[in-house]
Amino acid sequence: MPEEPYNPSPIGNPSVLARRNWWQTMLVKFIGKHTPKCREMVRILSQSMDEPMPLMMRIKKRVHFLICCWCQRYEEHLHYIRKTARQFPEHADEVSGASFPPEVMERIKQKLVEKVR
Amino acid sequence: MSATDLQRASRWVDDHGQCLYRYALVRVRKPEVAEDLVQETFLAAVRGYEKFGGRSSERSWLVGILKNKIVDHFRKLSRELSFTDMEFLSDEFSEKFVSVGLWNHDKGPHEWRPEPDEVMHRSEFWQVLGDCLSKLPEKIRAVFTMREMDGVPSNEICAILAITDSNLWVMLHRARMALRECLEMNWFDTPAGGTV
Repeated sequence: MPEEPYNPSPIGNPSVLARRNWWQTMLVKFIGKHTPKCREMVRILSQSMDEPMPLMMRIKKRVHFLICCWCQRYEEHLHYIRKTARQFPEHADEVSGASFPPEVMERIKQKLVEKVR
Repeated sequence: MSATDLQRASRWVDDHGQCLYRYALVRVRKPEVAEDLVQETFLAAVRGYEKFGGRSSERSWLVGILKNKIVDHFRKLSRELSFTDMEFLSDEFSEKFVSVGLWNHDKGPHEWRPEPDEVMHRSEFWQVLGDCLSKLPEKIRAVFTMREMDGVPSNEICAILAITDSNLWVMLHRARMALRECLEMNWFDTPAGGTV
């Protein structure tokens, strides 16, 4: 049977609300219809990392998360990326690739002496 | 410059030069530009050492100076190069979504383990993150790193790069989506990452 267009909950959906009984199915359909679709939600989630989300959208997001663990994970991943990215500069020497050539090191030391003199 | 200042600066280059140079290289990709930025950083550090009260580690302080130098570099670059060009990902990973705009559940985000505090001690993670960042197109990477690594507020990035809010959001959205996907595929879904 083809998937109904407004039902974002496949069989086995691990979200809080899924099609586990008739009531849940109705709720999932209602929420699916009245909150942004996932493609739009991920854009909104990204934008909310840069500017505050309006109250009504925050409510819609919370309600959407009840039926969509994937969008909820997406938001968690954005925060994960931010948290680790902020630490990246101090771990940059753990990234292999171009090393710091000794001649560059010497050149920098030499220029420091010349410029600060 | 006293002999002590010189000794101190020389020690900074030995202890932190590698880290600063590699970080600059991830950001700007060109070795000669990275070298100049690192050199300017040490120079500014020597001149401003009195202001360093030891509130943070030497490395954090030097990285902070380098971040400002990188922002200045992009400010200059934006006068020559338009950052409003939209590069790559025009379909925004369309295979991730079914036609009605919902996640394709087989390809939706997985749960990520371990917690950020744990991965920060694993050098393989930084390697994967560095590799994923290097796959981003230049302008998108510049915008993303300025926002997420340097923590520059979005309105300031718009002013620095002379782009609109909506351009910035689109670029950040694309960068985040690509980076998330790359990290999941190359770290979290691998035995090293811990999800599987």
